[in-house]
Amino acid sequence: MKKLIAGLATVLLFVGMAKGELRIFNWSDYIPEEVLTEFEKRYDVRIVYDTFEAPEAMMAKLQAGGAREYDLVVPPDYYVAEMARSGLIRPLDHGRIPNLKNLYPEFQNPDYDPGNRYSVPYQWGTTGIAYRASEVEEPVDSWGVFFDPAQYRGPFLLLDEMRETLGAALKYLGYSLNDTDPVHLEEAKQLLIGAKRRGLGFAGSVEGRSRLLAGDAVVVHNYSGDIFQIQEEDDDIVYVIPKEGGTIWVDAFAMTSGAPNPEMAYRFLNFLLEPEIAARISNYNYYASPVQAAEPYLDEELLADPAVYPPAEVRAKLEFIRDVGAALERFDRIWTEVKAR
Amino acid sequence: MNRRASWKQLVATVAPGALWLVVFTLVPTLLIFYTSLLQRDPHGWLTGPLTLENYLRFLGLSAEGFDPLYLNILGRSLLLGLVTTVATVVLGYPFAFFIAGSARKNLLLLLVVLPFWTNFLIRVYAWIVIFQRKGVLNVFLDRFGLDPVLLYPSWSAVYVGTVYTYLPFLILPLYASVEKIDWSLLEAAYDLGASRFWGFVHAVLPQTLPGLVAGVLLVFVPAVGTFVISDLLGAGKAVLVGNVIQQQFGASRDWAFGSAAAFVLMAVVLAGLWLYARWTGERGMEDLV
Amino acid sequence: MKPRSWLTLHGVLVLLFLYLPIAVIVALSFNESKYGVAWHGFTFKWYRQLLEHTRIHPYVWNSLIVATVSTFVSTVLGTLLALGLARFRFSGRGGLLFLLYVPVVIPDVVMGVSLLLFFAWVQRLFGALHLGLTTVILGHVSFQVAYVTLVVKSRLAGLDPSLDEAAADLGAAGWMRFWRITFPLIAPGVAAGALLAFTLSLDDFVITFFTAGPGATTLPVYIFSSVKRGVTPEIHALSTLMILITTLALIAVQRVQARR
Repeated sequence: MKKLIAGLATVLLFVGMAKGELRIFNWSDYIPEEVLTEFEKRYDVRIVYDTFEAPEAMMAKLQAGGAREYDLVVPPDYYVAEMARSGLIRPLDHGRIPNLKNLYPEFQNPDYDPGNRYSVPYQWGTTGIAYRASEVEEPVDSWGVFFDPAQYRGPFLLLDEMRETLGAALKYLGYSLNDTDPVHLEEAKQLLIGAKRRGLGFAGSVEGRSRLLAGDAVVVHNYSGDIFQIQEEDDDIVYVIPKEGGTIWVDAFAMTSGAPNPEMAYRFLNFLLEPEIAARISNYNYYASPVQAAEPYLDEELLADPAVYPPAEVRAKLEFIRDVGAALERFDRIWTEVKAR
Repeated sequence: MNRRASWKQLVATVAPGALWLVVFTLVPTLLIFYTSLLQRDPHGWLTGPLTLENYLRFLGLSAEGFDPLYLNILGRSLLLGLVTTVATVVLGYPFAFFIAGSARKNLLLLLVVLPFWTNFLIRVYAWIVIFQRKGVLNVFLDRFGLDPVLLYPSWSAVYVGTVYTYLPFLILPLYASVEKIDWSLLEAAYDLGASRFWGFVHAVLPQTLPGLVAGVLLVFVPAVGTFVISDLLGAGKAVLVGNVIQQQFGASRDWAFGSAAAFVLMAVVLAGLWLYARWTGERGMEDLV
Repeated sequence: MKPRSWLTLHGVLVLLFLYLPIAVIVALSFNESKYGVAWHGFTFKWYRQLLEHTRIHPYVWNSLIVATVSTFVSTVLGTLLALGLARFRFSGRGGLLFLLYVPVVIPDVVMGVSLLLFFAWVQRLFGALHLGLTTVILGHVSFQVAYVTLVVKSRLAGLDPSLDEAAADLGAAGWMRFWRITFPLIAPGVAAGALLAFTLSLDDFVITFFTAGPGATTLPVYIFSSVKRGVTPEIHALSTLMILITTLALIAVQRVQARR
């Protein structure tokens, strides 16, 4: 009996005494494995890497205690302010992230987080519609493919991200995707419920693109880089920003308020801003990098691709999703209802 | 036979386990009730004051009138439980007799236990592969020149998934009873002039009841409370009570409402359990395990 | 047709139904093609890819560690609890019995959510108990205890009354007597309970889903999130391996039981 207890205690101790850990909570398939391995080797640390498919689920996990468990988390730009207000993330000490100087000027002081007080920009991109060209009668160019039964082109998947999907419905109706008017939101809700019933349901970006490739879905609401990745495998896939307009977004790394290993977390933030590392990430993800110093290391075709770095006339059609403060609760309620009906 | 326990004896045997149950089963359950009376604060956490608002919302009663959304969902969940139970009984009852009368009992039992032991996620997602647009079923239909069917995601897929997942849960306890059947009672019934059918109903069926009822309970309860099967095979279009609960503790971040829904589900199930316990007595409960 | 023939036909169809999905997964794990079910050739590459996918290895460890530790704790607690319940009368016995059935009968999702609530409150109030492997183990023990207790208790019911004597001495320096007399007699029941607890833990998804923290991902949780990202042949390979191990374990258990 004593031997058994001693043995068990040793095992548990061994498990707990693993070398220093850095715990990251990121979107799935959003960083090349080799970048993580390089960081692990350089600083002799073990990275515990968990992923999520939807930012709302990420928020829920943090609130349930994750804010004291994870070191770094990757919210979309419009949630940074909310997470700061909720006490889930902490202000950053810029003195410990000297590589911030590598960012483009417009990312040094972004609207969603003035002065990068709480976050470090990671990747930016657009959200639009992807479809299989050979299986649709006419090219897709409008959010109506989801919301208007008359414009149905084939089995489709909606995106499992509240602000993006509600935003798409709002834009189709001609409103801003940051509109908080309850009447407008109610209209959007009805559209979404109808769309959900006509389509194949909701999916995260990775599942959506996977099913598009497999031929299970013909049209999906998805992020730019994810689609560009699969276009490598199958050039029958087309990505388009609808005529009513789409979203342009920034994903950013933030440090949780209860981070167990802030020292290593700061090192990682600095590491991400190194030119070569930032370039490797973008070359893998097909998203645009906010790191100016990375330009010499980016794939040429990536830099030249107007889909990845949209020109001015396309940017004019894009809108940033913004923090809506207390009105977020209204969005949450509507989203819950869309999912429940 | 049972003696009054001394304080020391209680501490040595019952106390640790009882303490564990109280802390990790009773307290969390009470916590669900308490949380269901709170409200969601703007940041997704909880705040007072205590209110019955969440229950009213579940029942669909609000200032704007009656909205049966969540009651419908509860109804759909109970329906799924019912249909699944009936289907598993229809499939499983004869199967138990098939095993009992076979020369290869052990092999057949093994063949039933293997899916039972296989991780249920594997068994559920397999149906995605079978039912998806270019899945096994449609490839098969295509070979015969038939039109493809879009069964994924759909309620049909969810139903097939639940029946498939819980079928072994019915067969195994049922077989435990079937195995012990005293067939001489059937002989006696025939001698008394009973027909095949009535002989079975009066002499054999009652003997299978303990196992059957145990199996039914082991199918009905998980089926009513499932969220994984409806999430994977229904992909957000098949919403059951389990999904509502999971969502409130996930993306919706409304723990108060989720607790209310969980409490309602638990109350419904425990009511059924209480009825079962009254009917069969303590011995019946052990047949469950 | 004779009744037996109908029964056999029914039996065969049910067996086919039970094994069709498993067969599909096993077959596809060897399929060359990444998407779709059309056969493109035999290959082991998905298995190779699986083994190279080192980030999955901790999930296997987590599943095993959780199952082992939780089974150990719950077997000890459950066996003692069963002994006490079977032999003694005490106030609160009825309530304890009812409490025992709650984890067995309530839907997983309710239990998972209640534990999540519990851990979150404890954290907010006392700052202790972070979500992680520990909370998963605590959650697993909570449902395992009930099963172990019920299994051992039902085995105890059929045993020799002279055990009463042995159990009566339990609280008063009777540990040696317990080990030498009582335990060997109830060992098969305890083993059955432990085995049940172990398989329940390995297979558990819902409780783990709600109580896991960073780095506490187990295999079922990994399969779920992986399937949500899109079914791939690599997952088929993982599933096939799990099915294979389950089969081998089952055969082993059957052999052991046959020898008894």
